[in-house]
Amino acid sequence: MEVFLGLLISGLALGAVYSMIGIGYSLIYKASGLMTFVQGDILTLGAFLGLTFNTMLRLPYWLSLILTVVVVFLIGFLIEKGIIRRLLNKDVNLIYIVLSTIALSYVIQNGAQAIWGGTYLYFPSVFSVTTVEILGVAVQPEVILCFVMALVGMICLYIFMNKTKNGTAMRAASMDRMAAEACGINVSWTTGLTWGIAAGLAAAGGMLVGPIYSVYITLGASLGKKAYAGAVIGGYGNMYGAMVGGLLLGLFETFAAGYISSEYKNLMAYILLILFLFIRPTGIFNERAIQDE
Amino acid sequence: MLLSANEITIQFGGLTAVDKVSIDIEENKITGLIGPNGAGKTTFFNSISGVLKPTEGHVTFLGKDITGKKPYQINELGISRTYQIINLFKKMTVLDNVMVGMHTRLKSGYFSSLLHLPGERREEKEAYEKAYQWLDFVGLKDRAREEAGNLSYGKQRLLEIVRGLASGPKLLLLDEPVAGMNTAEKLEFDQLLKRILKLGVTIFMIEHDVNLVMGVCDSIYVLEYGKLLAHGRPEEVQNDPEVIRAYLGGE
Repeated sequence: MEVFLGLLISGLALGAVYSMIGIGYSLIYKASGLMTFVQGDILTLGAFLGLTFNTMLRLPYWLSLILTVVVVFLIGFLIEKGIIRRLLNKDVNLIYIVLSTIALSYVIQNGAQAIWGGTYLYFPSVFSVTTVEILGVAVQPEVILCFVMALVGMICLYIFMNKTKNGTAMRAASMDRMAAEACGINVSWTTGLTWGIAAGLAAAGGMLVGPIYSVYITLGASLGKKAYAGAVIGGYGNMYGAMVGGLLLGLFETFAAGYISSEYKNLMAYILLILFLFIRPTGIFNERAIQDE
Repeated sequence: MLLSANEITIQFGGLTAVDKVSIDIEENKITGLIGPNGAGKTTFFNSISGVLKPTEGHVTFLGKDITGKKPYQINELGISRTYQIINLFKKMTVLDNVMVGMHTRLKSGYFSSLLHLPGERREEKEAYEKAYQWLDFVGLKDRAREEAGNLSYGKQRLLEIVRGLASGPKLLLLDEPVAGMNTAEKLEFDQLLKRILKLGVTIFMIEHDVNLVMGVCDSIYVLEYGKLLAHGRPEEVQNDPEVIRAYLGGE
């Protein structure tokens, strides 16, 4: 029972990070019709930036988190305006734009290496206690923080998308660009906003996993690929699908590692992805965005 | 004049789709734009609504030059339009479609929504009431919660029109509004146009249905091969030998 509970908690925390990255994939796919390979590395960038704010500038963790999200939001916005939009305006084949995100992914990885070095950096603990007990299981408080904050982030995003003017505009623009423009929506702005939000979520994810896994240049790359699998399992292009798919994959992977073997956890996670692609390509939420295109 | 287009020319590569067309839209009137297929009617519309930038010429709306402005900017200035191919948010509810139309008129930001401030609550309530009124205007009130994509073709046209009206325009551009409507809906349509006019909204429409155009328009422009062929009151246009030739293909 204790093992089960322990795995459940760490699975939920890991899954919540997949969800946060995966939401970005889905939002971007809906807004720009593209997939991006840069999400994971933006998580790395967020973790390094947050670490810098936290240890070098000696800012409190919370302030570092907020600053990181704001700065990386702007970076995401500028990636869309400076690279993606410009390539789209050139009318190049979409695959070239996807390739540009792969290039950007390596630019960020190597840039991070040049600035922060290639070693594992220790992220100081957020709380003064090293463990808390939940139903008899000792848990690192940062793990709880990770899950709770990810949940808060997703709830805020839900309210933003459904209750605000900008959120409604973003949803409308992602459904039909022409119709949205005819309704007075500045689609160029909402698309930039989408990339900014996707980046901000990933960066927050980096700040949450940093204290658990430490920070290194490929931290986000592997999480990002898993999050992609989670988004597909949930239904690629569906924000809620990415949330549920990410959580499920995190749980599946953690339980597989705990009860079967940690050596094969990645293998099993990707086998699950392939199974979904064959049996239900539209994912749990039956998102038809891929077929509509 | 509410809107004036002066010598609009639109070229695609070497092809001239619209050739020095000038039109004037009078306030509180219904102006029609007709012509054979491929005459450049929709292309001309696109140059007014900002989808296309004219190669030459200027569009003035309420005394301001709006040539080359973006579609969302043109909507903000007070011109709404519908499309020949229905352009709805098909997976949103009927009500939400109208709410998106009202989007530019709403003020609430993120924090007021998050905190659910009284001002925001009032605005939201007013917006819902207003949206329902708009749906009532075209007889779609009892279908507010359905997905827009489930409506019949004719009802989707009505929804697209009312979504355009919800943004509070001075001028409404309609591109073949009765295409796909059934006979009953077509018969009611001229009444709807007159009710829209009573709201203080001027109408400029492309339409193939000759009975509707001749019956309801105050003024008609005829395009052929991108050039202005005729202009006048319906009876003048109807008896114009050039127009008869263009439509019947006579010598």
